[in-house]
Amino acid sequence: MTQPQPPRHAAMLSISNGGSSLAAAADKQQPPQHLHTQSQSSQGLRVPSNRKTIYDRHLNRSRNAELSRASFAFLFAEMVTYAQRRVTGIQDLEKRLNEQGYPLGLRLLDLLFYRTMSSSTSSSLSSSSTSSSPPNRPLRILPLLHLIHGPLWRLLFNRPADALEHSVSPETPNEYMITDNDPLVNTYISVPKEMNMLNCAAFVAGIIEGVCDGCGFEAKVTAHNQPTEMWPGRTIFLLRFGESVMEREKVLERAGVK
Amino acid sequence: MVVYSFYIFDRHAECIYKRRWLPRPSSVVASKSSRPTSEASAPATAPPAILGQSARTTDDDAKLIFGTVFSLRNMARKLGGEDDNFVTYRTSQYRLHYYETPTNIKFVMLTDIKSPSMRVALQQIYINLYVEYVVKNPLSPAEHPGGVGVNNELFEESLEQFVTRVLS
Amino acid sequence: MSSATKASRIGEELWKTRVDKVNAELVTLTYGTIVAQLCQDYDGNYQEVNKQLEKMGYNIGMRLIEDFLAKSNVGRCANFRETADMIAKVGFRIFLNIAPTVTNWTSDNNQFSLVFDENPLADFVELPDDGRAQDELWFSNILCGVLRGALEMVQMQIEAHFVSDVLRGDDTTEMRVSLVRYIEDEMPPDEE
Repeated sequence: MTQPQPPRHAAMLSISNGGSSLAAAADKQQPPQHLHTQSQSSQGLRVPSNRKTIYDRHLNRSRNAELSRASFAFLFAEMVTYAQRRVTGIQDLEKRLNEQGYPLGLRLLDLLFYRTMSSSTSSSLSSSSTSSSPPNRPLRILPLLHLIHGPLWRLLFNRPADALEHSVSPETPNEYMITDNDPLVNTYISVPKEMNMLNCAAFVAGIIEGVCDGCGFEAKVTAHNQPTEMWPGRTIFLLRFGESVMEREKVLERAGVK
Repeated sequence: MVVYSFYIFDRHAECIYKRRWLPRPSSVVASKSSRPTSEASAPATAPPAILGQSARTTDDDAKLIFGTVFSLRNMARKLGGEDDNFVTYRTSQYRLHYYETPTNIKFVMLTDIKSPSMRVALQQIYINLYVEYVVKNPLSPAEHPGGVGVNNELFEESLEQFVTRVLS
Repeated sequence: MSSATKASRIGEELWKTRVDKVNAELVTLTYGTIVAQLCQDYDGNYQEVNKQLEKMGYNIGMRLIEDFLAKSNVGRCANFRETADMIAKVGFRIFLNIAPTVTNWTSDNNQFSLVFDENPLADFVELPDDGRAQDELWFSNILCGVLRGALEMVQMQIEAHFVSDVLRGDDTTEMRVSLVRYIEDEMPPDEE
């Protein structure tokens, strides 16, 4: 049922290969070509004489920077509008939003590791790639989930997620749930009744999926409305890990890897 | 005080939102329960008009109101200068309150004649309800031909609350 | 006090007191994925991507101006010079926490440039090294649309385009803004 998704995989490859892991537009289209340009870009890109490029400015420069929440809302609104023009239904729209979040997850993962690394070993600030302590990528599901629930959520929304649960059903041991009581992305969204299944946090689900995939945990992530009296916008992100991940998980458990 | 009705007109002179609360009991003045419960009147069964004479529809009312405020506002500017604007007028039956944004969105509210100035209230509706729930809602279009996107749940509910709890 | 200084103060004050904030990187990266998605959807046709970004910006501008007015509560500007200061020192401050320099006015006061020292939308960005993007893509073109949409709502038709961008290897990032005309009020279509 899981179809191979060459574009996604390729995008991931190009990111881990790119000199700058965060070049936003750079590695998206025609990823294979991008891989080549690594070696053949001798004439390369022009840079301003004051060298204000991503390579010359500190990656943590924007770490604590803030922007207007409205700016985000407007950009997100345009993203939803644009996606709506190209889809046929709610599921399709959510899929599209998920796909928009996915590359963001891949990029954030690198930023996240870079940050956690540089804060733990401050000596490696300038030469991150050759740092003696390798990035602490999670090997098992639980550390990955904690990474999402804590650091990822804090990076994106300035607070941790509200809950993390494992499916109680023995039939679905591969399902985990992360809860956000009041997703930032849905702040201004009033979903019409005829679309009441829609949850635009599918975008965030895509981000999570990108993070999982980037760590080598194949997963499908979806966003679901689970309103309560107190939290009308409560959203559950359902993470379903692939079989290969579950098998590996067993092997690692036997090997005593945490 | 009693709020009779509320209208929003966009820069294309179109009425993009209208809302009526139960009309003033003008024909049944018997009981002096001067505060009709603020329920949205179902357009189909609604009494003919706010001030209860002819069989005008709400659409007709909206057109009349737009014509009136548009002329008054232009007259105010001609006489008082570009930055002048009219704020309210009163008849023996009702009081009309007016607030216009620099983007030419016009907010109009009709109340009973004893009501104080609603200018600040209209501005609050613009800032706290219209901008937050209509303008920033990704599922609302940027403009609202035919009122599309204004009548969403968040906006309507908060308007209802504002009018029933804060204003009355 | 010059209108620029006055606007700067208003902008700073609003940024500090009236603006709800989010992590800047969320905005930056979200914008990045929008551009990347367009590049993909339009198959690397950068002219088309520029156009789409401008359109998106136009839609945003139409909404954003309402938030701007709701927050700032400023009245109409007396002239286009004042408008320019308001855009640069108040608008850009409250939405992107930057304040580009207003400069290069034409003698008729109908055209000016915004010069950007910082551009949060382009943090983390390197254009594709495909031999075309640096000549064809205006990465931050959405901003031109935002200005067009926002000003149209306050009855000014303008035209805006980038003339240089550090992402293209230029030393500055500069946008040119021209006033086309002031827009008259619209009348109801079926006015008797």
